[in-house]
Amino acid sequence: MTLNPVVSVRDLHKTYGRTGEKQYEALKGISFDVTADEFVGIMGASGSGKTTLLNILATLDEPTSGEVEINQQVLANLKGNQIADFRAKQVGFIFQDFNLLENLTNYENIALPLSLQNISRKKAQPEVQRVAKQLNIETILEKYPTEISGGQKQRVAAARALVSHPAILFGDEPTGALDSNSARDLLEMLSAVNHDQQVPILLVTHDPFSASYCQRILFIKDGKISQEIRRGSQSQQQFYQAILDTLGTFD
Amino acid sequence: MLNRLEFAGIKSRLKDYIVLFFGLIMSSAIFYMFESLATNKAFIKANARQITGAGFIFLFGAILLTIITLVYVFYANSFLMSMRRHDYGLFMMLGAKQSKIGQLILVETMVIGTIASVIGTLVGWGLTATVGPFLMSRMIGTKLQHFNAFYLPAVLITIALYLVLFLIAGVINRFALTKTSVMQLLKGDSQPNRTVLKPISQLAQVGIGIALLTLGYYAMSHIQKFALSAIPIGLVTIVLGTYFLFNAIFVWLILLLKRSGWSNRGLNAFTLSQLSFRIHNYTKILSVVSILIALSLGAITVGIGMQRQVTALSTASSPYTMAIKNPSRKTSQLIDQLALDTKVTYQQKETNKVIYYRADQLKKQPVQFTGFKPLLDSNRRNRLASPKYRSLTSTQLKQHPEKLMVLQPNAPQKTFRLVSRTVFNKVPGQSQRLTLFRVKNLQAEKTRLKRIVASMGSPAVETIPGTYGTFVLGTVLFGGLEFMGFFLGIAFLAMLASCLMFKILSGAASDKRRYEMLNKVGARQSQLRGSIAREILVLFALPAIVGIVHVLFGLQMFKVLMLNPYYQIWLPFTIFFVLYMIYYIITVRLYDHIVLPKLTIDK
Repeated sequence: MTLNPVVSVRDLHKTYGRTGEKQYEALKGISFDVTADEFVGIMGASGSGKTTLLNILATLDEPTSGEVEINQQVLANLKGNQIADFRAKQVGFIFQDFNLLENLTNYENIALPLSLQNISRKKAQPEVQRVAKQLNIETILEKYPTEISGGQKQRVAAARALVSHPAILFGDEPTGALDSNSARDLLEMLSAVNHDQQVPILLVTHDPFSASYCQRILFIKDGKISQEIRRGSQSQQQFYQAILDTLGTFD
Repeated sequence: MLNRLEFAGIKSRLKDYIVLFFGLIMSSAIFYMFESLATNKAFIKANARQITGAGFIFLFGAILLTIITLVYVFYANSFLMSMRRHDYGLFMMLGAKQSKIGQLILVETMVIGTIASVIGTLVGWGLTATVGPFLMSRMIGTKLQHFNAFYLPAVLITIALYLVLFLIAGVINRFALTKTSVMQLLKGDSQPNRTVLKPISQLAQVGIGIALLTLGYYAMSHIQKFALSAIPIGLVTIVLGTYFLFNAIFVWLILLLKRSGWSNRGLNAFTLSQLSFRIHNYTKILSVVSILIALSLGAITVGIGMQRQVTALSTASSPYTMAIKNPSRKTSQLIDQLALDTKVTYQQKETNKVIYYRADQLKKQPVQFTGFKPLLDSNRRNRLASPKYRSLTSTQLKQHPEKLMVLQPNAPQKTFRLVSRTVFNKVPGQSQRLTLFRVKNLQAEKTRLKRIVASMGSPAVETIPGTYGTFVLGTVLFGGLEFMGFFLGIAFLAMLASCLMFKILSGAASDKRRYEMLNKVGARQSQLRGSIAREILVLFALPAIVGIVHVLFGLQMFKVLMLNPYYQIWLPFTIFFVLYMIYYIITVRLYDHIVLPKLTIDK
């Protein structure tokens, strides 16, 4: 492990509710690192704080205290447009409900982060073609999101997340709305991206099968990391079993 | 329990409801203002002499205003429903009975309608009491008789109309919502429109559109030939023509822009898609709005034009503003305070049959005349010719003595004689002074001129020779028309802009999600704002452009009534533009407020 961490989280706290009112602490001091070659899973029951954590990492939310550094940038130092640009350039995000704009074609959806940066059509086209080829969606680029299946939608969303060469890819239950075959395809594709292009992936999920594609899993309980397991040299099947065992003891 | 939920729903969207209320209140206030004039029989009767055809114009205006109000309430209502759809869907999912939901919708619509129309009537009363007399005194110069800000029949008509409209709206809402599936209510309509180019059908539409518009414009510019039927012909053909043109050209334009490089910058592709996503939804309202713009702009233009016409006509009617016999010292002082073009005083002596003038005085300061030149400038057709003043030589004066005699107060039937100074002195009788003057700008000097008339002991203005008498009479005659035109124009404008505003805002709720997604993907706030501003600008600008074209052609109709309907057309256009811009800015602000995500999203 000589790689520098791409994501570095230090003692993250998040409290909801104003001071003086009834407060709720969603994150109670979370720290971890993710290096460039890692595929990390975050598991936990609903309300454990995993979505809050992901939103903070993706600059969609701000922590109450603690520090997040992504690709050598401290998130707290970013202001206004820098936050938007950071999202467009450094972070790829795949959501459970796809978040595709249904009034744009798939091509336009994928090209969106590039056109937000005012990258010319000439330069954007090969980039879109590259991710489309990688995700095997070249034939549906001119269709609209409502005209394709859920699995295809998620591939388009993944292509959009990857098109601007992000420093890290976040997935918020990306397989949640997919059938098992589509889910398997997507996860294999994500593993390949992670392995071939050295894009680290942080996957929030409560599905043990999805999690079995990861190399390392952080279990969050009541706003804290309660346990961490690594796949190491285990087969995927063995790791899946290990996850189930951990979840079983995890109350 | 449901009632409490319902109330909580309203509370959480209080700002949007305030917008809705504000719009409805303004609409009913304007309606009341108009009705308080239009239905006040005593007022119309008393002013019938002043306002030509007042009864008919008011009736026509009231009908138009009712139609617009109908359209307006419909759009305001769709805005209300767009806010509530999701809540109702949720209630139904939780197991609320359809009849209960229907009841809730009806009650909510009626409560809002009642509150808005009652407050609106009160506001309208206040506005009529304050703005009404102000407008009238500015335009007519005098107070109109029997003008009451509070007029009970108008109150009743306003409230009754709004209640009926809201009852209809409530029933329609109830019917529409209870027929929609819960899923649709919850998910909203997220089906995209695939903009497909159908060249043949679109070319045909362009052809039909242009043909209809040409027919309409032709009918309006040849109103003498078609008489009154020109108006319905024009309205029908132009409405349809506009619709076809919008439908065909707009889709085309968007596709063209989409294929160009421009669409790849920033959020342009998104903005274009938003527009094409909407356009089928919007062609109808855009055509209607463009017609309304034409009507309101036309009303303002004609109203203001009438007033201008009075100035132009009266300026050309005589070379002098006033002719005063033996002005008192006070009157002379007042005359000297005016911004004068020319002023001359002649001595004259009057016997039973003859008026004598001194030839040397008339030679030194000749009398001027305007002659019957065409009122329109032959070289520059779009401007009124400024009258040319020429001096009369003694020979010309002898041939046309009426040029001078017409300036005699009370126009006596006497002979006119030019004599030498010595002869003049021998003529028996008192030497009189006849003062003639012309001001530079009749309109600008009207208050001072009024004071001069007062200093003369307030004779009837008709008896004072010169342009001023014509001006005052014309102002009274046309001032009513101007008032009507201006009032109707502003009322139409307010309503149509609000219609457009509500139509756009109705789509905002379903757009919210899209802007949230864009935010997550990394669009800057400035990019989001820019995209919204551009999108709404297109929706505002298109009907405005088409409407202006309609007005420019439509004014042809008024050639029969007016010297030059296009004279100084920039003024009404500027007034219109400023008001329209205000609506645009308000709409963008409200839209921003509804759809733009806060910088951080609490989940």
